[in-house]
Amino acid sequence: MVDKGQVIRLCRSLLRAGRQLPDYNIREYAKRRTFDGFRMNKNLTDHSKVEKAYAEGKKQLEVVERVVKVYLAYPPKTKNIMELKLH
Amino acid sequence: MASLSTSSLSFKAPSIQSTRTSQVLRKPLSFKPISFGCFQSSKNLRLQISCAAKPETVQKVSDIVREQLALSADTALTAESKFSALGADSLDTVEIVMALEEKFNISVEEADAQNITTIQEAADLIEDLAQKKPAA
Repeated sequence: MVDKGQVIRLCRSLLRAGRQLPDYNIREYAKRRTFDGFRMNKNLTDHSKVEKAYAEGKKQLEVVERVVKVYLAYPPKTKNIMELKLH
Repeated sequence: MASLSTSSLSFKAPSIQSTRTSQVLRKPLSFKPISFGCFQSSKNLRLQISCAAKPETVQKVSDIVREQLALSADTALTAESKFSALGADSLDTVEIVMALEEKFNISVEEADAQNITTIQEAADLIEDLAQKKPAA
């Protein structure tokens, strides 16, 4: 039985994992995608669908963690312009 | 004598985890409180209070909340505004907490994050964490 707390925890762990990404673009994408994904399934009531979505979320968490390791092996040499505070 | 009382107090501090004390006592401890002795000094070690978050912190939190929830400029945001009253669901709350973590460079625990319901609570938590960080 997947409850709301678990879903929120999954969301937070996905966000935290995504934060470690060194590349600005993929980092922002990870953030955007988690929110979009969770909002899309926000109103699911059918329990089996909720379970499926939760399982997919967990899989994506593994993906993000793996991708973080790969990206950290070759971090970008310069900062993305969006990360510079120009004003 | 003073050092003895400090060590015994720091031992007690965890048990008074949830008490909140005046922010004014944040400065390096000078053991003025003697009459209440133990109890008050241990409050000093704890350094947290329900309504002592700095106004700038509250203002910054309000700005972030306003931005995340896309509130118009004329919606009044007070320190006691509840997120749910402003139209935020739990996902929005998660988003707000994440934005606050990034902005203030802190790390909020799961349990703490669940308990944030108003702007004031968020500001207090931020102050608390910002304080503990240099010590850690």
